[in-house]
Amino acid sequence: MFRLLALLLAVCLAGPAFAQHSVVKTDNVRAELVSEVSEVKPGEPFWVALRQTIKPHWHTYWKNPGDSGLPTEIAWNLPPGVEAGPIVWPTPTLIDVGGVINYGVQDDVLLLVKITPPADLAGTLALKADANWLVCDDVCIPEEGKFALDLPVGSAAKPADADTRALFDKARRVVPTDSPWPARFGLARSGDPTLVVDARGLKPDTIRSVYFFPAEWGAVASMARQTASVTVEGIRIPLRKGDAKATTAPQSIAGTLVLTEKTGDGEQRQAFDMVASLDPAGVPSAAPLAASNEGESLTLVQALVFALLGGLILNLMPCVFPVLAMKAAAFARLAGHERGAMRRDGIAYTAGVLVAFGAMAAAVIAIRATIGEVSWGFQFQSPIFSLLVAYLFFVVGLTLAGAFEIGGSFTGMGQGLAARSGATGAFFTGVLAVVVATPCTAPFMAAALGFALSQPAPQTVAVLLAMGLGLALPFLALSTTPALQRLMPRPGAWMDRLRQFLAFPMFASAVWMIWVLTQQTGPDGVIYALGGMILIAFAIWLLRLGSAGTLGAWLRRGLAAAAVLLAFAAVVKLEDGPATAASTTGGPSTGVSFDGWERFSRARMTEAAAAGKPVFVDFTAAWCITCLVNERVALETPGTRRAFEQTGTVKLKGDWTNRDPEITSVLKELGRAGVPLYLYWAPGAERPKILPQVLTEAAIVSELQAKR
Amino acid sequence: MSKIIVQRRALLLGGAAMALAPVPAFARDVGKPAPAFSATDSNGKVWSLADLEGKIVVLETSNQDCPYVRKHYNSTNMQTQQREAAAKGVVWLTVASSAPGEQGFVTAAQANELTRKRNAAPTAFLLDPQSRIARAYGATVTPHMYIIDASGVLVYKGGIDSIPSSSVADVPKATQYVRVALDQVLAGKQVTESSTRPYGCSLKYGNNAA
Repeated sequence: MFRLLALLLAVCLAGPAFAQHSVVKTDNVRAELVSEVSEVKPGEPFWVALRQTIKPHWHTYWKNPGDSGLPTEIAWNLPPGVEAGPIVWPTPTLIDVGGVINYGVQDDVLLLVKITPPADLAGTLALKADANWLVCDDVCIPEEGKFALDLPVGSAAKPADADTRALFDKARRVVPTDSPWPARFGLARSGDPTLVVDARGLKPDTIRSVYFFPAEWGAVASMARQTASVTVEGIRIPLRKGDAKATTAPQSIAGTLVLTEKTGDGEQRQAFDMVASLDPAGVPSAAPLAASNEGESLTLVQALVFALLGGLILNLMPCVFPVLAMKAAAFARLAGHERGAMRRDGIAYTAGVLVAFGAMAAAVIAIRATIGEVSWGFQFQSPIFSLLVAYLFFVVGLTLAGAFEIGGSFTGMGQGLAARSGATGAFFTGVLAVVVATPCTAPFMAAALGFALSQPAPQTVAVLLAMGLGLALPFLALSTTPALQRLMPRPGAWMDRLRQFLAFPMFASAVWMIWVLTQQTGPDGVIYALGGMILIAFAIWLLRLGSAGTLGAWLRRGLAAAAVLLAFAAVVKLEDGPATAASTTGGPSTGVSFDGWERFSRARMTEAAAAGKPVFVDFTAAWCITCLVNERVALETPGTRRAFEQTGTVKLKGDWTNRDPEITSVLKELGRAGVPLYLYWAPGAERPKILPQVLTEAAIVSELQAKR
Repeated sequence: MSKIIVQRRALLLGGAAMALAPVPAFARDVGKPAPAFSATDSNGKVWSLADLEGKIVVLETSNQDCPYVRKHYNSTNMQTQQREAAAKGVVWLTVASSAPGEQGFVTAAQANELTRKRNAAPTAFLLDPQSRIARAYGATVTPHMYIIDASGVLVYKGGIDSIPSSSVADVPKATQYVRVALDQVLAGKQVTESSTRPYGCSLKYGNNAA
């Protein structure tokens, strides 16, 4: 009742027909109709907004309110010939009300509306509107207000005061921009769509969160959790189909993609409007790859079962199978010997596998304790890891092929120990199996691993050990079950042939790892990896020449050691050029456009600044979403271009997509860790001014013109 | 919170093991057997869906202080439809699924008082303080409406009518989805609009929400 009185009071106070704007105050919202112009020019469209200042922790609703709630509505009452456009909505926020997902807006919000007056407008333009909205925190209250705003008509549009313009400027910054990337979706047989955004060249580790807000009720369930995966290939979001009863599959899904990006100094929220069209070929077979990272969706028992199954499947992977087959062959040789020895062998192998998985769990927990966040496959982010695994595959392949026998001269490595007879050998075969299996774990056990990584330490250890047990199980079963042993074929020449044959999947695995490496480092990685392999092969050849003990042998050993060292020196080279680059081409990336811009160099910048010219520097990267948005909304707009031209500004663009020491040094000097960074040298200025990371056209234009 | 980043190379191997990923327990499809439930009403009687086989059942989630629920009670739209349904032998169950301490939570006595005050005519007023029924049906709002046919199949879910607003004036203008669907079920026809957009206040699951 009080609310109603307050409302009435507010309406009465704001009531006088010729007030500049009208304000409605309720218990939860202060609403006001504001205009970006104080005087209207006939025929020239302008913007007004319903401004809602909402009580903290309360929200009103977005155009698609989600599982409950209703969007704010504005019903206009306008003079003949005047037209009002639809509400241009700000980027929504996800609000979880006890599991019911709402899409809302909070705090200070401007709902923008474009008004188009007729060319023959005269006198005063009287805008009238009835608006209603639902405002909620735990409880919901429908509210409404009547608004009136009278604007004088003049020969030219006159902008409103600076505060109001700043308000509109800020509001535009949170309106989603059109997506720079095409989007499509595939449908699973269940009808669940998977959204694929072809945003190539993103840096997955800079993206903190991704959420797709569907524009309408029906096609996509807002209640289902979204777990997006981001790769350099783009963004993939498995969605759940909505409740709309459709007889045919949806042809398009519209919505707003909201990304939080970690930039040089802080996090930026970016939003893109997109319409994804149905891709009939895009059956999202890999949809569940990005398994939920929320523990509650997978119980510990389920995770343990998945982990065990996953471990079992690992045995068949091209990277592990050869090692096991080799061991199995050795086993067949043992067959018929005493059972106790076999059992001991099997248990030692299992122990090796479990210890290796235990070590992995310890590493994960340690990293989590220090860094706080672990992405599975974190080891793949490192080109060094890829290179070393490629070498390992290569060497194991060579052994299998019979290029050399692992003997006393090649100790210290897992293989050396693995080749030893008895329990120690079996133990290290287990360790080796895990080492070679790691590259295969990520794709096959994402769900269980994801669970393991998001859980407290004991669960992490339990899941990883379950996976190890799965890996060891076939062998363990074989070694402890005489019935199974009887099924083993007799030893013979086939064992050697099988062994040699198995070299090929091993080499194939090495090729795959090199490909992974090139994804991280570019084509240069091939030179280092293949060159390193030749050096390793050369070293092996040297070591197998002639007899030991002579001076020649020592020389050969020295040479071999040098060759191996050189092969591993490639690691240092890779470390020097880490995979900051999503683009693999080296040099300028295709993602950054230089149209109208000069390429940045420190010399050019200082020279132009010294000549007293205004200089604008844009440090950008193809994978930087915030940079992209700034370009679209602020740097490449007609207004900004005009201002650049009129002021004769020298425009320099530094592309940091790939590592560039010159740009890195400039960033460091200015205390920045990354892009975006915008510098402006006013004419004759001694040092540049650092502009904000979030740009608007108005801010740049005023900056350019202020210094003239 | 950790995040799984699966690289493209991982996609190359896209795995069978991955078909095991979990899905949220929410949302029920029409055309499928309706989730079973058992709950006590405001007079202490236990109702379970299994016992209602052979009857058409309407579920109405309720929160008497929600403006959208009030819209349909203040306009007597809800009570009228409850009486129409009763006359045709339909079991109409009003369900209070708000958690204790949340808006819309009622005791048995309060529920009976509400029925009297609102002059309502549900077959029974079920108390669901642990939101079990709401969760089983994936209810998100009050009022969220469901129709279960005589063979126990969910044949309608969604809003009570077609105009999502809190204004009583919209009731006569709206298509009354539940009434239309009930008539179709009673006539042995397929429900044409079987899944519509529910609208209203969010269901108050409270902290015991999944």
